[in-house]
Amino acid sequence: MTGVDEANLAGRAGKGDAEAFGALIELHQAMARRVAYAILEDREDADDAAQEGFLSAWKAIARYDPNKAFRPWLMQIVVNAARDLRRRRRVRAAEPLDKISPAARDDPAREAGDLDLGERLRAALATLPERQRLAVVLFDAEGYAQAEIAALLGIPEGTVKSDVFHGRRALRRVLSTVKEEWDA
Amino acid sequence: MPEHLPLDSARDVELGAALREALAMPFGGAFVNRLRARLSRNRPRSWDEELAGWFWQGLVAAVLVTVLAGWGLSRSAAVADESDTGITSVASQLLEGSTPGTNVLLASMTSTETP
Repeated sequence: MTGVDEANLAGRAGKGDAEAFGALIELHQAMARRVAYAILEDREDADDAAQEGFLSAWKAIARYDPNKAFRPWLMQIVVNAARDLRRRRRVRAAEPLDKISPAARDDPAREAGDLDLGERLRAALATLPERQRLAVVLFDAEGYAQAEIAALLGIPEGTVKSDVFHGRRALRRVLSTVKEEWDA
Repeated sequence: MPEHLPLDSARDVELGAALREALAMPFGGAFVNRLRARLSRNRPRSWDEELAGWFWQGLVAAVLVTVLAGWGLSRSAAVADESDTGITSVASQLLEGSTPGTNVLLASMTSTETP
């Protein structure tokens, strides 16, 4: 879908068109749920937070400025919803990323055995501070510009660059290890 | 894998794709359907609906303000009456030939001494 379509849908949704907002949900649900998962480290919580975020965006759609991009506006709401949920469910956050094994968490890059690349990456993500995790996911996986991430997280752009760099280092190590195993 | 500089602003396409796959969530269709069903129940309100939603709170606030204003007016009228009573009672008591009490005298003296 093009940006023009998205602006058109957002404009119609702003006038209370539920069908148009439904189309926007369809368009952005995968990204919103991935980002919520990166924050909450639990699939059920991520779905709850993404749902909460979409509903909050729907209620506040009249305040959306159609001259600005819809995606960062929505993502800001989803990130806030996920962070709120994380605060409310700190006890459950003690079992992050769907109960990844302690061995994988201790050294995700070298953990041998049955773990696939996805599990190893999630384990490596779990070792990163939340801000680094978000910065690298929003930048490399979701395609946000560093300035957009800075505005979204309320931090300077230089901090985003540094977070992306440090986050990538841990994750690239996992990728390289898995590649070496595949080559062997 | 290429080594990136600390302030590299280019995306790591390979890492990005791997992350999207690692964080992918199942049942996207069910998620969308569930949310679509909830949209009508959580419809954003128009300005007149928003205004109507505040009707009872507004009414209660207006009644409270009216009651408070009425109480304040009656209270200030009562205070004015009390200060008048001090002066007239000294005159009326002297005319009646009785001796005014010390509190009435003091009250009339202080009110007459005030410039």
